Amino acid sequence: MSSLPTVDQFTPASGIGRIDTPADIARMKASLLKDIQRSAYVYRVDCGGCNGCEIEIFAAITPLFDAERFGIKVVASPRHADILLFTGAVTRSMRMPALRAYEAAPDPKIVVSYGACGCSGGIFHDLYCVWGGTDKIVPVDVYIPGCPPSPAATIYGFAVALGLLGQKLTAKTHVEGENERVAIAHPTVPYNLRVLVEREARRMAGYRQGGDLAEVFLAAMEAPDGRPFADRLAGLLRSTPDPRTREIFEALGGVITAAVGRLAR
Amino acid sequence: MNVMTQLPVGATHVAALRAEMPHAVLEERRQTADQITVTVKLESLPEAVAYLYYRRGGWLSVVVGNDERSIDGTFGVYYVLSMEEEDRCYLVVHAKVPEGKEEFPSVTPKVPACVWGEREIRDMYGLVPVGLPDARRLVLPDDWPEGLHPLRKDAMDHRFRPAPTADDETYSFVNDSDRETTVVPLGPLHITSDEPGHFRLFVDGEDIVDADYRMFYVHRGMEKVAETRMGYDEVTFLADRVCGICGYAHSVAYATSVENALGIDVPIRGQAIRAILLEVERLHSHLLNLGLACHFVGFDTGFMQFFRIREKSMMLAEMLTGNRKTYAINLIGGVRRDILGEQSSRTLATVRELRDDVTRLVDMLVSTANVEGRVKGVGILDPQIARDYSPVGPLVRGSGHRRDTRVLHAFQGYRLTGLDINTGDGCDVLSRTLVRVNEVFDSISLIEALLADTPAGPILTEDFTYVPYKFALGFTEAPRGEDIHWSMTGDNQKLHRWRCRASTYANWPVLRYMLRGNTVSDAPLIVASIDPCYSCTDRVTVVDVKKATQKTVPYKEMERYCRDRTASPLK
Repeated sequence: MSSLPTVDQFTPASGIGRIDTPADIARMKASLLKDIQRSAYVYRVDCGGCNGCEIEIFAAITPLFDAERFGIKVVASPRHADILLFTGAVTRSMRMPALRAYEAAPDPKIVVSYGACGCSGGIFHDLYCVWGGTDKIVPVDVYIPGCPPSPAATIYGFAVALGLLGQKLTAKTHVEGENERVAIAHPTVPYNLRVLVEREARRMAGYRQGGDLAEVFLAAMEAPDGRPFADRLAGLLRSTPDPRTREIFEALGGVITAAVGRLAR
Repeated sequence: MNVMTQLPVGATHVAALRAEMPHAVLEERRQTADQITVTVKLESLPEAVAYLYYRRGGWLSVVVGNDERSIDGTFGVYYVLSMEEEDRCYLVVHAKVPEGKEEFPSVTPKVPACVWGEREIRDMYGLVPVGLPDARRLVLPDDWPEGLHPLRKDAMDHRFRPAPTADDETYSFVNDSDRETTVVPLGPLHITSDEPGHFRLFVDGEDIVDADYRMFYVHRGMEKVAETRMGYDEVTFLADRVCGICGYAHSVAYATSVENALGIDVPIRGQAIRAILLEVERLHSHLLNLGLACHFVGFDTGFMQFFRIREKSMMLAEMLTGNRKTYAINLIGGVRRDILGEQSSRTLATVRELRDDVTRLVDMLVSTANVEGRVKGVGILDPQIARDYSPVGPLVRGSGHRRDTRVLHAFQGYRLTGLDINTGDGCDVLSRTLVRVNEVFDSISLIEALLADTPAGPILTEDFTYVPYKFALGFTEAPRGEDIHWSMTGDNQKLHRWRCRASTYANWPVLRYMLRGNTVSDAPLIVASIDPCYSCTDRVTVVDVKKATQKTVPYKEMERYCRDRTASPLK
């Protein structure tokens, strides 16, 4: 079996000159990251993003989300910055301007890599004109993922990264019981029929709402009340005020009628 | 009445071209009812494009290069013209460049609008436009190796990254002035976020004599990855990421191009949903630009207020698509989410609120005394320059040209609506801003109309098959103007070629003419008025040619000067 070449094989052998952090600066930076205890000034460095990240950063600092209430302020020069926010997959042309911005900011500076492209290169990770993420050229302290991250995620990322809130993530782990089994959905509906209904629902209303509506429809149809199918369908339609949802249920009813008709022949 | 009216759409243009230039037309192919590709002899290319452009009411949409050596041993160059006067259609002039003699006559001396397209073909395919006065690179970085043309099929793997060779930029900037000037470079890093770009203003005192700029700092190589790593049906999601502000318009344009090429009929409800979402995107984009316009004239209260109400359009997008930005909702053949009753009523309630909010804010904006003084008569785009360079969107509409793809080439759900084109005749920043204001209200009305009467039926069709080597155009009217995509399928469930032209690409070349004759303090405002997503730079270096000194002015100072207009940093 032939193996595909790895991305590293396409990175120049001499490297592209990633900058490293000296030990004393790293120590200062660690205490800053743990508890900054003051306003954080942020400078944005766009290394070839699509603008989606920039626009959400903008949304984060304007009235509705208002990151300035946490002391996060966007400044106009890297020389004023505590934090450098790198967006984009680092294009070939932006490598030097980005490095110059990094050099211009005073130590100990914190580097935040923002968005899917900044964190990993995103959808562009292996292209000829990008280097594939912030950490290929400068050391990164905090990653905020998302395409783009929402303003809430942005503020949360800063808060967690800088110890602003002191909050911890609370994770819940599910432990499977002795005889716990995952039940089959709608066991009384024949499998093929269920597939037909779900497919039609997806065609009518997309994967998200179609899935929900197929679930509602199937639950109503298999309820054990002994009435004929047409009555139950009519009942479901009566209790559905939205005409569009009704239209979709009618189409799903049509699938079942057609399938039963085929069976009868 | 007249039998001529029975002719298929666009036939009059082809007939006129054949009459004007006998023997030049080799072949005529029709992609859809209103898309025709005419193959002409290579030496007749400039005359054919110029004839259609100036004598038949054509506007240049995009120039496409294509490596078709695996099909017929030639490179293809395609000049896409949007015929906007009578018999509206898209007419594509195609010529074949033989392998081994890789040059073609440049159209730019006759039609200036072609300049960027031809420079890009030279970068990406190594085809030489003979007679093109501008010999500089456009897309590729300064230190990219000579003679390596990424989009040639046999050039390189899409992951190939040549080692960096230079830490300095070598791009030379053009100054057409005949007197001594001072150079003001801006960029490439910008303060108001957004994509990087580098501007050089050539000034005499406070007045801008000429300007030049270098873009494509953000060139990532999307067209190459779409042709290599990704399947044709996945590229809709890549197209979403062309631009973070109007990505959905690109996604629709891409999906439409493939649907046109493969002859897919998108269910009418899917089309209506696409149109609704395009208008939601326009709302957020225009409100953003109106906010920035406030910011650049020093009216920061208005800026914050516009951003406050803009959030409503973002929440609308999140409710309808699941994402605030990057909707990722298009598939080839339709969309992935429906609009159910509750979403519909919440949307209607939100846009009603928005209409009231925008009305109040716009009243505030136009009655603020110093706003008009800052924007009236500034950044004039002469209608004739506009005609020569084919800019798009509110920029060209602000100079009196009636160009709006939604009306001229009604696509997707816009066929269901009766929309009119907003134009202004001031040709200045004010005129463009007012066009945008009117379009916000139009978008709200369009959303209401489409939701009041959404067609029934499915939102997606899967009833089609992939056919190799079919090509067609797809187009939308993004907030900044026409987005146009040209796609050709390959033979491996991928694309052979995807050319995506964003609206701002068509708008940059005229910026230089808009800057000339204005003052340095108005430059950020003028750049923002073409709505290039954002504008401006983080710092400004001033080189005084006469004194041979250099001084660095922080961007903040430059922006402050734009707002306050006192205490020039250049003195």
